[in-house]
Parts: sequence; structure tokens; C-alpha cells
Amino acid sequence: MSDIESATESAIGKSPPRLEAAEKAAGTAIYSGDMELPGMLHAALLTSPYSHARILSYDVSAALALPGVKAVVTAEDISGGYIGLVCKDEKALAHGKVRYIGEPVAAVAARDEATARLAARLIEVEYEELPAATTVEQAMAEGAPVLHEDFADYTKIYQAPENEGNLLARAEAVMGRGVDGFDEADVIVEGTYEVGAQYHAYMEPVSVLAAFGPDGRVTVWSSTQSIFRTQANIHEGLGIPMGKIRCVAPRIGGGFGAKAEASGQLVTVMLAKKAGMPVRLVLTRDEDMTSMRARHPGTLRVKTGAKADGTLVAREMEVWLDAGAYADDSPAVMNLVLFYARGSYSIPHVRALGHAVYTNKLRLGAFRGFGNPQASFAAESQLDEIAEKLGIDPIELRIKNAIKAGEQWLGGQRITSCALVESLEKVRDASDWTRRREAAPGRKRGLGVAAMTHTSAFLSSGAIVRLQGDGSIILNVGAVDIGQGSDTALSQMCAAALGLDIEQVSFATPDTDSAPYNYGTNASRVTYTVGQAVHRAAMQVRAQLLEHAAAMLECSEGQLELRPGGRIGVDVEPPRNAEVSFADIAGRSLWAVGGPITGSGSYIPNDPPDPEHTKMTGFLGLDALSVLTFGAQVVEVEVDEVTGAVEVIEAWCAHDVGRAINPGAVESQIHGGFVQGQGYALCEEMLWEDGRLVNPSFMDYKFPGTLDTPDKIHAIILETPEKSHPFHVKGVGEPPLVGAAPAINNALSAATGLRLKQIPLTPERVLRGLLEKG
Amino acid sequence: MEFHQPTTLDDALTLLAADPEALPLAGGATLVAMLNAELIEPSALVSLGGICELHTIEATPEGGLRLGAMLSHATLASEARLTGGNAVMRQAAAQIAHPAVRNIGTLGGAVAHGDPSSDLPAALVAADAVIEVAGPSGRRSIAAEGFFEDYLTTALEEGEMVAAVILPPQPESAVGHYEKFARVHGDYATLSVAVVLAMASGKCSHVRIALGAAGATPVRVVAAEARLIGSSLDAGAISEAAALLTAASDPVDDVRGSADYRLMLVPRLLTRALAAAGGAP
Amino acid sequence: MINITLKVNGEERALSLPATRTLLAALRNDMKLTGSKNACNQGVCGACTVLLDGVPVNACLVLAANVAGREIVTIEGLGEGGKLSPMQQAFVDAGAIQCGFCMSGMIVSATAFLAENPKPSRKEIRQALSGNLCRCSGYVRVIDAVELAAGRSGA
Repeated sequence: MSDIESATESAIGKSPPRLEAAEKAAGTAIYSGDMELPGMLHAALLTSPYSHARILSYDVSAALALPGVKAVVTAEDISGGYIGLVCKDEKALAHGKVRYIGEPVAAVAARDEATARLAARLIEVEYEELPAATTVEQAMAEGAPVLHEDFADYTKIYQAPENEGNLLARAEAVMGRGVDGFDEADVIVEGTYEVGAQYHAYMEPVSVLAAFGPDGRVTVWSSTQSIFRTQANIHEGLGIPMGKIRCVAPRIGGGFGAKAEASGQLVTVMLAKKAGMPVRLVLTRDEDMTSMRARHPGTLRVKTGAKADGTLVAREMEVWLDAGAYADDSPAVMNLVLFYARGSYSIPHVRALGHAVYTNKLRLGAFRGFGNPQASFAAESQLDEIAEKLGIDPIELRIKNAIKAGEQWLGGQRITSCALVESLEKVRDASDWTRRREAAPGRKRGLGVAAMTHTSAFLSSGAIVRLQGDGSIILNVGAVDIGQGSDTALSQMCAAALGLDIEQVSFATPDTDSAPYNYGTNASRVTYTVGQAVHRAAMQVRAQLLEHAAAMLECSEGQLELRPGGRIGVDVEPPRNAEVSFADIAGRSLWAVGGPITGSGSYIPNDPPDPEHTKMTGFLGLDALSVLTFGAQVVEVEVDEVTGAVEVIEAWCAHDVGRAINPGAVESQIHGGFVQGQGYALCEEMLWEDGRLVNPSFMDYKFPGTLDTPDKIHAIILETPEKSHPFHVKGVGEPPLVGAAPAINNALSAATGLRLKQIPLTPERVLRGLLEKG
Repeated sequence: MEFHQPTTLDDALTLLAADPEALPLAGGATLVAMLNAELIEPSALVSLGGICELHTIEATPEGGLRLGAMLSHATLASEARLTGGNAVMRQAAAQIAHPAVRNIGTLGGAVAHGDPSSDLPAALVAADAVIEVAGPSGRRSIAAEGFFEDYLTTALEEGEMVAAVILPPQPESAVGHYEKFARVHGDYATLSVAVVLAMASGKCSHVRIALGAAGATPVRVVAAEARLIGSSLDAGAISEAAALLTAASDPVDDVRGSADYRLMLVPRLLTRALAAAGGAP
Repeated sequence: MINITLKVNGEERALSLPATRTLLAALRNDMKLTGSKNACNQGVCGACTVLLDGVPVNACLVLAANVAGREIVTIEGLGEGGKLSPMQQAFVDAGAIQCGFCMSGMIVSATAFLAENPKPSRKEIRQALSGNLCRCSGYVRVIDAVELAAGRSGA
């Protein structure tokens, strides 16, 4: 029997157009906000005008009296409990109190959108305004107003602080001798770094369509990264049994983390239930920006110790993240900042201490990188300070200390494959690292580097592979392609496992009624984690195909070979010209022997931390988190000394993906991730004044366009097989973003000698820095 | 809401006079965005798109150009007759937002809106343009410098609208330049400098400078120009002119930059603008 | 309500709508042409770009009543007979499409641009698409796609 290696070459390592590219090009792809149902109503929200206030009463009579209004809901209509992945502290609508400006308080369903919006404004809510804490400093101050009086009663899956006011989570990890390890250092560098709040700015604002059927089941089409998390949130938040909730994902216009947990689904379901009619909610950009999520702003104090020869010996990181008004993923994001605090290096002594703090503003949550961009900006910037102090080339310093396969990560997990050194060498050579760059008068050019590590196996996934009557395959995984290309890559893997062309595999729409469980599209996990399940399911189908074929061809299974395109032949000497097609086998199974051919696979990584290696307190379980992926980036910038503007000229991004299933899609992830990281580094920041977001629009919140981005972003794919995966893959969704900010910051320093410790590196900050430096 | 599509300017003025809550609709680039955001609720819109005379460009007897109010930014950005000193208008129009918006937005709409962060007002002041206004009591002409009175406030009286912009002939050797700095391409300016400059034998023979996004209206300081005229645009002269302009500026603190930063940019962008306009030593 | 007719993708459409309805809302809600997307509703992102008498405009900044009688082409009108247009095909072949939400506007802008400038430089392509924001691609493959379409039409 030929091994997978030979049967797969037709489908893997190639870049066929994405399955859904043509419909997206044609404009016929359907997103949630494009869908309509007969009798469908339109939803509108009423949101909080206060950062912090007690809700005393509602008067919805005027809204209900408006012709065309079919339902109004408030917290009084909530039949379920609290939701939240790691700390259940949030309800479908603000209840009892509002905790940030823009928090949904009530909602209306009406015949048309204009009526719904008008009616929402007619809802009268009586508030008692409370003192607010809109920054971490205010929230942690003595006597600060407490956001969650019932915090102790909330269900949490981590050891939470007790009686510490607004402190949502605290965690600590200590490796080696911790801070005592600094006694081995010849040189110590310490600094405090600040990172801003970045908005995901997916192009599709949150959209939901919910409809109850006559059987009392609700179907929810929504802009989500996980149909199963959506289902679970509706179940928990509204008390509807899971069997009565069907969640479907049509095309999704980007997510980047924000659409992983609940968004507008719960309130839309409430309206649909109360009105007895289908309801569609489509957020305006302003509503999306003020009520969804953003990347955590925070402060990171970082200290690094090195020997004179550049050997890194100790690292300390103390992190304060602003979590916003609800926990959401904040404790987990904070844990992951600590997870990456040591960086990609074999530093023996580490102490990482993190805090997440409730404040009266928008919840901060998951965003591409999940804590890693914050940690990496600080730590990778500081590494260049060490390099400068020691007179060592920044890439040399990184290579000298690079972690390697077989070593343990912070937490104790064993590194299975690692191309960190190769990544650094690649970007060094490709960028012609040592060549000095000239710029026009008044401008300076320089190169900067950053290395990064990220996870790619996380939580559970399943796959169902079915043989259809004509010999084709339908793959059903329940994983949502939010634009990254997983539908295509998973289909390629499925095709490869069965020796098929990708055209012979159909991809099922994610639907909780039929798909196996899948945690979600996040954590750079889908290709690795779902890929494992796809392989297992496909292997079950393959075994059944072979069993049938052996009976049909009257030979032993060992004499069979899987031939490209869906055929199984006999492989004996002398050659016998006998083979059966998958269609023949399907016919036999459906009409004669054995019944339908179906395979199902499940997977969850299990790689528990090693308490002997790292002492950890306050962490969520990291057992189902593993397989690290490595990369390095070099960026060339040009700094305008007149204005302080930093322009990215060129970027070289080397990422080890184990094996590229679809190299074109990998390159696209690298391009897009890098540019999103460039925005984080240079121009993107949500700004609040007294709890009010001052730039809730694309007019005022700016991210890079075609004229702000380099034409040359060199995506360099490294392939060091990850043996724990049947196709040797690792994830690449997040790492390209992670390196951008520190690499750009280091390039700014190389160009001008200015070292800033705060992103975004706005022209104003850069110009002031240049003037102060003199 | 009523919607009118008059075909003559007089009809438009009559409609506007009849309903003080009515608004003239030019291209819509700003007005429709404001409608979408529910920031305005006019009782009626009087569309100016069907009024032929607002779409014309013609040479004036004096040798300048008369630009109809309904000309799009895209048209101005590619108008070959906007040369010499008047190129400042072409350059400013070419840097407004993005191509699709430039196809929608109009000269008259931008002038009437009077947003100091937008690109045309400063260019108009630098070019010493005259705004031709039509109203119930006839037409009148207002120098651009006096037209912009305050933030989003112009000299337009009730029932009046912008009919045209008249650009004077610029000095023979004048060069216009619009220097814009923004957070990203296509954003409103953090600060901009519009300049019309003529040099003769190495000395500045004519200069008009207006700053955009430096205050509630375009900022022009006659004394600053006087300091430059006759000079070789040496660093000292520019620095003194910049100091005068800086002193007259009163920018806002907002997401596009702090007021302090905008003030820091005044001498920096002025120097760059003058050099680009041919004043480099 | 105002009664108007528009010629949309070659077809006369009679509509009755309020004066404040944007062309984008009219396309999406009244004509069920949902290819044009609403991502900012203030003319910044370009996801709603359509051709108005051949010229790209942000449909969210145009009132439907104000373009009565004029000719509109949306993403749905670019291809012929169920086949993708050369520009649409180039975006597929270049791997430019990720989440796809910006793509309708991007492709419409690129189509109008290439008609004006059949042999553009990459810089010119970037200028032409500067009003079309994309959060997935980093723009590299988008520029590649327009170059690909230009190369094919020149061949």
C-alpha cells in the first residue's frame, strides 16, 4: 500500500484558487447582512450614554406605540444567565448597570430599519450615574468604583483574585531562579513599554439573522468565527437548549479574533423570539466600534539581563492589561502575554507577572496574536537595546540565544520542531542586512528585525468525511473560513489523504446541525488542529474503501494501491489491469454491502505544562495548547525628519509553516498579517476621552491603504516538517502580525538612533523624540 | 423629505428661498455622509446637478479662470489650465480623499462646507480666489480670504449658494504648490500649506501662503508674506515668516494630531512647500 | 416617496423610494443587488464602489434620487453570461481574494481604472485603488491581480 506521502502530491503544496473565490469576485457570495427571509424585521440598538450607571427603569411604551414596531427587548426579557469563555460576567444586554458608553441596553425590531432606529431612540431608560473608572490607574486606585460587585459569584475557570476590587485576573510564571537570575548578568536593561488599543477593522460589520421555526428551534446565521461558540453563548445567555439552536456561518467578512465570542447574536434571537418573526441586525460601523472589541492596551515593564558575550540569562516582565468592562478573553490574553514573555530564546531565569483590570470602557478581547503582539513589541524592542549596549548585531544576538527543538517553552511544553535560526538567517540574507541604506536629505533609512513564536494547536476539532454516490467526497468540519483560506486548505488535505483532486472534494457549509464540534477559527489553529481531525476521518474512509476494493477485486488489501483521481487498483507482479473507482465502491456500499461510507475524526492536543519546569499560578489550563511555530522579520523604514512620519519601504518575513498546504494562501496570510501589524505599529489606536471613544469611524480611525503600504513584502516560507501532524503543518495566521511592530520600532532606531517605547509610533511621538534626542 | 432637481440657478434659489430648512445638494460627498450619520435632517434637498451653468470652466477677460461650483474634484485635479500659480488648486484637488470621492465631491460643495481641514479652502486663499455667490438678491463676489469666517461657517447668507470660483491670473513666473501632511494618504490634513510663489533673480517677487487645519479658517498672515518678499527665501526669512504664521494659528487637538504638533509642523511644512514651489536656494 | 428609473447593469429599473435613500441602499435593499457592501457608510472604505456613467463612485455617498435616469454598473454587472469579467478572473487567479468583503468595490475600481489606463505601473494601480480599503490582503496580491489583468488584455 503506497503511503500518504506519494498519494498526496497532487493536492498538497499547490495553490488552486480558493473554493469560494469566484463567487466573491462575482459579488454573489452571501454574507449574513445580505440575507433576507419572508417577513423579516430589522433590529436597532439603544446603547448606554454613560460609562457607569445604575439602570433604574425602562419605559418602552413610546417605542412600542410607533407603527411598524414589533418587539422591544431589555434585560428584563433575558431568560438565561451569564456568558463568557473564562469568566461568566456578561449578559445579552446590560442588566442592572451599564458599564461602558455604547453598551447595548435595549433593542427594537421593526418593519424597516429607519423605524427601528427611531423607536430605539424613543425608549426611555432612567439611570443613576455612578462614578466611573475608565483607566487602569483609576480602576486600581484606593476607593475606586467597583464595576462588578458580584465578581466573587461569577463562574470562572481560573484562580481569580478575591476582594481586590477591579482586578479581574492575576497570573505569575517563574522559571529557573526567577528574578534571582539577574545576578548572573553583566548587563541589565529595563524599560516600560506602552501599547495602544487596536481595532480589528474587519470590513464586514457584525451582522446576524435569526429565525424561529414552527418547531421552536432557532436558526442563526451570523458573522462569526465559531458556530459552536455562538451556539454555546446563545444557550447559556438565553437558556435555550442547544438542541433548539442551529447556528450557520455564511461567508464571513473578516474577524481577526473579534467575532470568536458572542456579538449581536443573543439580542437578535431575543427579538426574533419576542416578535415571532425573523429579525436581522446589522451594526453600523460606529456601533461595531463602540460595542464589539479591540486589542488590549497596556503597560509592560520589562527587564532583561545578559552576559557580556550576549548570552541572555534573565527576563522579568510585569504586565497590566486594560480588560474593559467585561472579562471576555482578557484573563486568557493576559496569560498568553506571559506565555510569550521569555520570547523565542533559551533564557534560563524568568519571572512573568500579569494583571487584567476591569475598566469602564469597551471590552478588550481576542485579536490576531492574542497577547503576543504586546509581549513581542516590548521584549523584541528591548532585545535590540541589549544588542546595542553589548555591541552585538541584533540578528547575531537572536541567533546566539535562539531556542531550539527539544527544549522546553515557558510552561514546560517541549518544542517539537523549530526553524527559528533558519528564519533569522533567511531574512538576514534576503534583506542584505548589513548594507547601509541611503535616503534623500531630511530622511533616514534603517533596517530592524524581530523574531517571533506562536502556538498552532489549540482545543478540539472534529471532521466528518463522507463518500457520495458518484465517488466524490463531502468534507464537514464546522470550521469557519473567515477569509484566511481554511476551506481550501482543509479540502486539499482531505483530497490528499484519499488521492483525489481538490475538485472531487466538496466543503460543507458550517452548520451546528450537521458539523462535528469545532472550537473556532482562532489561535492559528485550524490548519493544524482541524487538519488532524480531517486526516483521521479520511483514513477511516480510506480503510473502508480498501476493504470494499479488496472484495471487489478479489485480492488482499495489501495488494491494493490508491491511484490518483479516486481509483483503487491491484499492485501485483505480473501487473493485472484491474481497478475500481470510488463510484463503483460507493454503489456497492449504498446498494449491496456495508452501507454508506463515512469517516469521522476527532482531535484535541494534550500537552500539559510541566510544573517542575515552570511554577505557574493564576493561569488557565494550558494543556490543550501546543506546537509552536517560529519566524523572523526584517523591515526597512524611511523616517521623515521634517514630520516624524515613518514609512515602511520593504519587508522580509520568514515563517516556518512545517509544510505549506497552499503556499499562495500562506503568502497572503503573511502579507495581510504584516500590514495589520504595520498599522498597529504606526497609525492605529482607539482613543477614549472619559470613557467615550473619540474615533469610532473609518474617517477618524485610520488603517493602512494601498499608498501607505510597501509594494515589496517578501513572504519567505520555510518548511521544517512538524512530525506530530500527518501533513507536517503548523499555523501561520497570527505570527506575521506579531513581528511587525518591534521590527519597525527597531528599524526606526537603526535609522535615527531614536528608541521609542510606545506604539503606535505616531509622527508626533517620533518627531518629539527626534527633537528631544537632538 | 422633498427632493427638487431644478435646471436653472434661479429656480434653485427660488426653492431655497421658499424653505429655510432646505439644503442645496451639490455632489453629496459630505452632505450624504452627514445624512447617513443622522447628523442633519433637512426638510428638502435642492439638487444642483442639473444646472448646466454650474458645470462650466471658462477663461475670464482678465486672464484667470471661472470655475463652476459643480465641477468635481476629479475634474479640477486633471484641469490642464490650472497651471503656474493656480496649480495650487489642481494639487489640492488631487489630494482630496480618494479617486471615487473626487468623482463625487464638488468645488462648490467643499467651499460652502468651509471645513478648515479640507484641502480647497487654503488653496483658494493662497490663489487669492474670489467666491461668486448667488442669492435671492442677486450675485455678489467675496474674496476667499474673507469668505471663510469660522469653523464650518462661511459668508453665505440664508438662501445663498456658491455659484462659481474665480481664480485670478497669477504672476507670470508664479508656481503653486500644495503641501499636505496627513496620518495616512487620503485623510484630512493634520496640517497643510498652500503657496503661490514667484521668484525673480533669486528673490521672492510674489508670495501668498495659507495654512489648512491650522485654525477655524485658512490662516494667512500678510506680514509673513511681506517678510519673504524681496528675500532669497533664506532660512532666517522663512523662520521669521513661519513664526508669524505660527502665532496666528490656533489649531485643534484631535485624532489627527495635537495642536502643539500642528504648530511644530508650520515652519517645517512651510519650508518644504516653498522649496517645492521653486524657492529652494 | 420619489419615483425614479435607473439603468442598472443594462436593465431599466423603476423604483419608488425616499429622497434620503442612498444608491447603495437602493441597490442592496430595493434591487437586491447585495454585491456592493456597506462597511463604513461615509465614503472612506470603497466597499460600495459602483460605476456611475462609467465613473467609479462610492454608492453610499450618492442619493438614488439624484442619479435618476443614469447608468449604473455594479459588481454583478461586470461579467457576461454568467462568466467572470477579465478583471474578476484576474483577482481569482492572482489569489487576491480573502474574506471578499472589500472585493466588489476593489474590482469595480480596478475595472474603471484599467479602461482609462491599460498599461499602468504598480504605483499607478496603488493610486487608483487608494480609496479601497482591505484588511486581509496587505494589498500585494490585489496589485498583482490588476497587473495580471493588464498583461492579459495587452497580450
